[in-house]
Amino acid sequence: MTRLGMVIDTFRCIGCHTCAMACKLENNLPNNNWWNRVLTVGGEDMDTPGGIYPNLSKKYFTLGCQHCTNPACTRVCPVGATYKREEDGVVFQDYDKCIGCRMCMAACPYTGVRNFNWEEPQYYVGIQTGSGGAPTHKKHTVEKCTLCAHRLARGEEPACCQDSICPGRARYFGDFDDPSSKVSQLLARYGGEQLLSDMQTEPNIYYIDSRGAGKDLSIANAYKEALNKTAGSEAVVASH
Amino acid sequence: MSDSVLSGASRASETANNQKTGILKGNKVVSATLGVAIVLTILGIGLWVFQLWGGMLNTNMRNLSSWGLYIILFMLFVGLSAGGLIISSIPKVTGLGDFGGINKIAIWTSITCTLLAVGFVVVDLGSPWKVWELFAYANFSSPLMWDIIALSLYLIISIIYLWATLRYEKGKLSNTGMRALSAIALVAACAVHTVTAWIFGLQISHEFWYTALLGPWFISSALLSGLALVLIVVFALSKLGYVQIKRENILKMTKLLGVFTAIDLYFFACDLLTSGFVGGESAAVVTMLTQGPLALFFWFEIAVGVAAMFIAFVPKFRRNGAIVFASCVSILAILCKRIQLLIGGFQIPNIDYWSTTTGPHSVEYLGVPGGSLSSLIYAPSLLELGVAFGVVALGVAILIIGLHLLPLKPLKK
Ligand code: SF4
Ligand code: SF4
Repeated sequence: MTRLGMVIDTFRCIGCHTCAMACKLENNLPNNNWWNRVLTVGGEDMDTPGGIYPNLSKKYFTLGCQHCTNPACTRVCPVGATYKREEDGVVFQDYDKCIGCRMCMAACPYTGVRNFNWEEPQYYVGIQTGSGGAPTHKKHTVEKCTLCAHRLARGEEPACCQDSICPGRARYFGDFDDPSSKVSQLLARYGGEQLLSDMQTEPNIYYIDSRGAGKDLSIANAYKEALNKTAGSEAVVASH
Repeated sequence: MSDSVLSGASRASETANNQKTGILKGNKVVSATLGVAIVLTILGIGLWVFQLWGGMLNTNMRNLSSWGLYIILFMLFVGLSAGGLIISSIPKVTGLGDFGGINKIAIWTSITCTLLAVGFVVVDLGSPWKVWELFAYANFSSPLMWDIIALSLYLIISIIYLWATLRYEKGKLSNTGMRALSAIALVAACAVHTVTAWIFGLQISHEFWYTALLGPWFISSALLSGLALVLIVVFALSKLGYVQIKRENILKMTKLLGVFTAIDLYFFACDLLTSGFVGGESAAVVTMLTQGPLALFFWFEIAVGVAAMFIAFVPKFRRNGAIVFASCVSILAILCKRIQLLIGGFQIPNIDYWSTTTGPHSVEYLGVPGGSLSSLIYAPSLLELGVAFGVVALGVAILIIGLHLLPLKPLKK
């Protein structure tokens, strides 16, 4: 079995929104439609710390579909337009089938990860930006992160987890059922937290805090390896 | 004396009395109402087409409040329907006599309400032309699917029940057969509203919805609103001179109205205590209802409930005007409850950091969610109100046409 998911290192995340933008461009997301967002843990507003000076704290984490092992959304969809793919665990969305009842939006506990196209999709830039195989968006259907299913199909990682995207190197993608995968190893080392774990959904996005890992050679090597790989890879959408 | 002791022959002889109310004949008020209803229905259909064409952005539903007025009214009308049918079938099932021959009208009212409920689901769908998929790709683990099945079966059963009641009055159906059918209708009515409750009650994602109490509580609300509706229809028809209901039966129903109000408020109290007692996040629900943006609806429901109980239980208040008033506000109270349940479910987000709920990267929103005391996350747009009026107008038209064409007039004893 394959259980694809991500590990997000909240210690390394600098809240730059590059992954959110990469997602938006890669998947050609219409206006007001975000599959991956960066949340500030701290003050009331974005990028503001919480607490009282000098005891301030601020942290970031990103939020998208958690590709739950026990998804609340797939169970309630009356037509099976959202379903968990058996082969890799991706919670997928079939735009052609979706009747727009929004039952799945009511069922998903992760606020705002499911988006409904409330109008005919519009694009600020006026052109379609998605990479090859990116989904065509439809009015009055629900959509959300697909773990970049179109990229997975050609053997690539999701756009937000590309080595060239995250400047903080805070995002990792892989198979949790494979103990040798980077994500499994990170979990083994740092534990890892799931969002709203009391909701019985068993998310496959884990959040770790790698404080003190700077001295960790295996991680440092992984970064070096990643950098080399990026230098040689083909041009990537939104890499600037 | 109840219908059940009438012999077949004497029942048959009464069919000679014209059983049709013929409500449209020579009655300007009713005809005018029908005319207005038809015009509003056509307008409503126009607005609905606009909603589909121009996009549901024209409603005030957004990603954080993904359902709105349509689903609120869907709940209300399933309740009215189930309640109406339960009220009219219980006396038959238990053999305790009936409320004076208004059964047929009550059944027809509840059939109309079921159709309205279906209508509200349809206008809520993003792509209603894909409804055939519900049959082709049915996913039986979805409470919504259960509800669609339950509603369809319920509609069929109510139609059979109406037909059987007419046969029974003509003496062509045995008393046992009638009672058995009444029992089936009763079970179906309870089932349909319980399943409707499960659309919400099984969602662990919303603090306010996720409770086992929701099923029984929906039934109690259904009984209250259904009975109130039957009372209103009976008063309207007797005012117009089409039915005569004994005062004694009206009083019976009024007392029941008080009892149902008490039960409904009791469930509400149980639910709030359970949420509030543990404190923490659960208590946010209580704060939201009592002091937050939904307080108006909450306190209205409570105040009206108390008033309805006074009217029902204090003999000197039981005047006709007061009873009609109590019935009308009881339906409004249940509407308020539906509003609290639906909006309240969305009002408190599970993840309320900046960017989920506000700002340029937020999903679209109307009010400011993020706490039990911030502004209302959803209020219907004019378009939604227009479409909703259209659907209700369609119901009024169906009700009047049915009353005119079908032999629904109570038998004279
Ligand atoms: S996060 Fe929500 S949408 Fe994604 S799989 Fe889990 S329940 Fe479904
Ligand atoms: S909105 Fe679409 S995906 Fe969601 S439950 Fe309804 S049909 Fe399924």
